[in-house]
Amino acid sequence: MEAVFSALGEPGRLRIVELLRLGPHAVGDIVERLGMRQPQVSKHLKVLAQAGLVKVQPRARHRIYHLDADAFEQMREWVDSFEELWAARLDSLGRYLEELDEEERDQ
Amino acid sequence: MALLKKKNKEIVLERYYAAPLETVWKAWTEAERLAKWWGPEKTKVTDCEVDLRVGGRIYIVTEATGEMGKYAGTRWPMEGTFTHIDETGRLTYDARSWQEGDEEGTTIHHTNDVTLTNEGDKTHVRLHVTITRIGTKAKLAAFGMKWGYKAQLDALEKLLEG
Repeated sequence: MEAVFSALGEPGRLRIVELLRLGPHAVGDIVERLGMRQPQVSKHLKVLAQAGLVKVQPRARHRIYHLDADAFEQMREWVDSFEELWAARLDSLGRYLEELDEEERDQ
Repeated sequence: MALLKKKNKEIVLERYYAAPLETVWKAWTEAERLAKWWGPEKTKVTDCEVDLRVGGRIYIVTEATGEMGKYAGTRWPMEGTFTHIDETGRLTYDARSWQEGDEEGTTIHHTNDVTLTNEGDKTHVRLHVTITRIGTKAKLAAFGMKWGYKAQLDALEKLLEG
């Protein structure tokens, strides 16, 4: 996940991801829509692909890029586990408070 | 055109505890009490510091015990700064949580807002966690992405391949 986070940490790459969220785009479209230079876009796409965030689909003479679900799923799982942790923590607080209560009664 | 709404991810959890508000408040704010419940099952709290004043630090490390198998020994710190303290029932802090050794890949920045309310012989606890960033650098607008996004993308992938 380090690669995913660090790939998204660059504002230009994040803009590409945001654009691809709307649907698949050819490299040329990305260049045009975001007003970036082609070599820069290609470099960003390479990093995004290496991080598993985008996939490429050749179509005729174009290379069409789209987001790869798995990387986003991984990210979602990490955040879900964070949510579960807090739920487990609050349950644990409940057990702690019950034990306190019993100790007080025993005294 | 704004391509993406930069929404934070919100988690709201609520519980009722059969204990007085003061007891629950102490459980959240006194280090030695906090250490007794902070770690979920199969973990232990190895470090717990609470400097209960606005601007003061909260630092707690949860460590996986042997019962957690492959995670045994893994440490998950949380470090934060108190932003609001009202012992009649409100505690807020800005914090970050991560897994030791993989800060870059696991850091979650969040704010915790704990509200305690006295309801008869019970105390209601509402914990509102807002995730503001993930990763150490990424201002993760990607969180504005709808959850359940995978299904949508899988369908797209099929379409592209088909």
